[in-house]
Amino acid sequence: MRLPAGVRRYAEHPFWQAVTILVVAYVVIVFVIPLLPGSALVPKSVVLQYMATVLVGVLIYVSDNEGRWHRFQDPIRAMLVERRLKLVRGGVLVAVTLLVGCFTLGQVRTTVSAPPNLRSIHPAPPADITFRGKAMTLTGLENPLRHEADSLAAHLALGKRVYYENCLPCHGDHLDGQGHYATAFNPLPANFQDNGTIAQLTESFVFWRIAKGGPGLPREGAPWNSAMPVWEDFLSEREIWSVILFLYDQTGWKPRTWETESGKGETGKEKGDG
Amino acid sequence: MVSGLLLLALRAAPFPIPHSPFPPQDTTRGKAVYVKWCAGCHGDKGAGDGPAASRMLPRPRDFTGAIYKVRTTASGQLPTDQDVLRSIDEGLPGTAMPAWKDRLSERERRDVLAYLKTFSAFFQDTSQHIVPLTFSKEPGGATSAVALKVGRQFYDSIGCWKCHGKAGRGDGPSAPTLKTDPGEPIFAADLHESWRFRGGAGTADIYRRLRTGLDGTPMPSFSDLIDQKFLTDEQLWRVAQYVRSLSPQRAPEVRDVIHAPRLPGGLPRSPDDSAWARVERYWFPLVGQVIRKPRWFAPAVAGVWVQAVHTADSLALRLEWDDRSESPDTPWLEFERRVLDHVTSDDSVPAPADLWPDGIAVQFPRSIPAGMERPYFLMGTATDPVYQWRWTSMPRQAVAGLARGLSRFDVLGGGSAPGAGARFADGQWRLVLTRALATADTANELQFEAGRAIPVAFFAWDGSNGEHDTRMAVSAWYFLALDQPTPPRVYLSPVVAMAVTLGLGMLVAVRAQRRAGAGGDGGGRSRA
Repeated sequence: MRLPAGVRRYAEHPFWQAVTILVVAYVVIVFVIPLLPGSALVPKSVVLQYMATVLVGVLIYVSDNEGRWHRFQDPIRAMLVERRLKLVRGGVLVAVTLLVGCFTLGQVRTTVSAPPNLRSIHPAPPADITFRGKAMTLTGLENPLRHEADSLAAHLALGKRVYYENCLPCHGDHLDGQGHYATAFNPLPANFQDNGTIAQLTESFVFWRIAKGGPGLPREGAPWNSAMPVWEDFLSEREIWSVILFLYDQTGWKPRTWETESGKGETGKEKGDG
Repeated sequence: MVSGLLLLALRAAPFPIPHSPFPPQDTTRGKAVYVKWCAGCHGDKGAGDGPAASRMLPRPRDFTGAIYKVRTTASGQLPTDQDVLRSIDEGLPGTAMPAWKDRLSERERRDVLAYLKTFSAFFQDTSQHIVPLTFSKEPGGATSAVALKVGRQFYDSIGCWKCHGKAGRGDGPSAPTLKTDPGEPIFAADLHESWRFRGGAGTADIYRRLRTGLDGTPMPSFSDLIDQKFLTDEQLWRVAQYVRSLSPQRAPEVRDVIHAPRLPGGLPRSPDDSAWARVERYWFPLVGQVIRKPRWFAPAVAGVWVQAVHTADSLALRLEWDDRSESPDTPWLEFERRVLDHVTSDDSVPAPADLWPDGIAVQFPRSIPAGMERPYFLMGTATDPVYQWRWTSMPRQAVAGLARGLSRFDVLGGGSAPGAGARFADGQWRLVLTRALATADTANELQFEAGRAIPVAFFAWDGSNGEHDTRMAVSAWYFLALDQPTPPRVYLSPVVAMAVTLGLGMLVAVRAQRRAGAGGDGGGRSRA
């Protein structure tokens, strides 16, 4: 592949190479990365960090040998001194000045933004709960329906019914937390397809979160702002265990067992951005 | 997970996926996908009667009748495979049907399409030739005043207004009588919320719905009016362009903070004050209250537009929300009865239809929280109440009070009610609520302060949709910020920074030039 001489002069010049690398890096970080599956918009502060890293890399490259460093400087020097580039010189001066002005204004002007919404993802569950007046020990508790192998299909069918009658508006058809009500709530409903929710939890933990909902979350780790209803007001113990069976069956995840739990010590409590 | 399914699908396929638009479809595999992902709403036998169906309006599609709303074929005809696939891929906005494009593999979506066609004998009749209509290209000048005027003229003359209303908010005189073929209540679309259009928000989508109609609903096809030379194809395009122009260019983005600018003069206390036109609008989606009994799965108010301004001592909020009726409204009573009959209730005895008023509530904490913690968003709790303004259409008044959970609201006395000015026109409420920033009852009434993030939430009731008490539409917490005017000293540092930059730049240039002049050929080093 041979480039025309005019283009090649620029393509081989370290200054224009540096400019090209910076522009490409910016486009990739700001426009291409959000398009990749599973990624989101890169926050401005992170863009700044990435661009600074790229700039340092570029400067190391252009200054790594004397000849290249001189060639890199040539266009800058020409811009500064040459009579024919008077307009360009003026333009660059004004542009840089304005940029600095805007940046400083952005830094000093205060605007009210929503307070950061840091929250625990998985709270530490209590050892015991009272479910509709009945005492239940969560530690070591397993889903009792799993021991009824003969009627597992019936339990799954009940669980499916319970899910579609109750959970669907928020947690969605695909169990990914994107039901048609989901966007009205903050934090968003839990995504059961994600490997960070039910895949990490014991069934007794899931039982507790369903039974007690947002209002049953512990004081420590607050604020939760969860819209999760208190399902013990709507569902029986059996219905909750059934819907838990359905969640694992439908997503293909295996619940965490008490053996792995004790092997790993205490339950994982993670801090993350809501 | 999804890629796992995809892999599985690829491995199980005994042949490579061909590039032809209609690859062989596998109804056995399609059934497995259907039973797993679709039957919960559409039912095991495809009759649109899965366990979720009775809590949905509009109902999930009944595949046994093979009647489809979103098609490219003539009215009364079966849809093409592409038509049904489009609804599966993109979902049906404004309903519970999600877009399956990123959730199932292409193979799975095609197989499930093949399977759901087996539910109806109509698709088995292969003598029927399913052909899409030919659609013309959109004529230019979509947003010109002339085009929109022509569109508006035919919007009236072909009778769109009868159901969709004079201003297009689904509040026409026939709107309360509308039913689907199976007798479910159905709203005429609110043409100001194009992001909720089932078949897509684009002008071409709207044009296609006009040409094909929405089968199974009262929305007819207008193709025959073109055949009868009542209007030209181009004029029908103008109707589509006019309808498109009623909604924002893009679906409104939900933002966390409502900024209330500081006004130099007085507050705009009237809902129609021209000062509101210059204030930023914020959209907040509302969804059914499905958290406490009795729940409500079919809210009629999709969201509320909010604007806020303040002066040195007072605050005004303008709320605008689309509502098809000025409740209580007797013509809608029959519609309300049908809604209550069709939506499963938590009550053992279904609530009777009644002449309920419309209402809206604006909720704040009693004081601005110091940390991140806020009271329970769903109207507080017995021990941690919230401060609310509640407005109703009958009696037409606003009161202030403390909500202690959904079931208890204690009205505050002593002139605590916010000022309220409301107007209903063409399917929309406009309400301005005003209050002094500071009041005497500092224990119960929020004291507004500029420069703080003040939690705020919204609740709405459409009386003619059977909504009252816990049957309502709710939002999460958002924030209201009374912006302080930027003090002049803020502008000082940017000016200093700019002067320094300019000075340094000129210095560098002058030095480089001097050195170049001295060195002759400019070979000396200059600052880069």
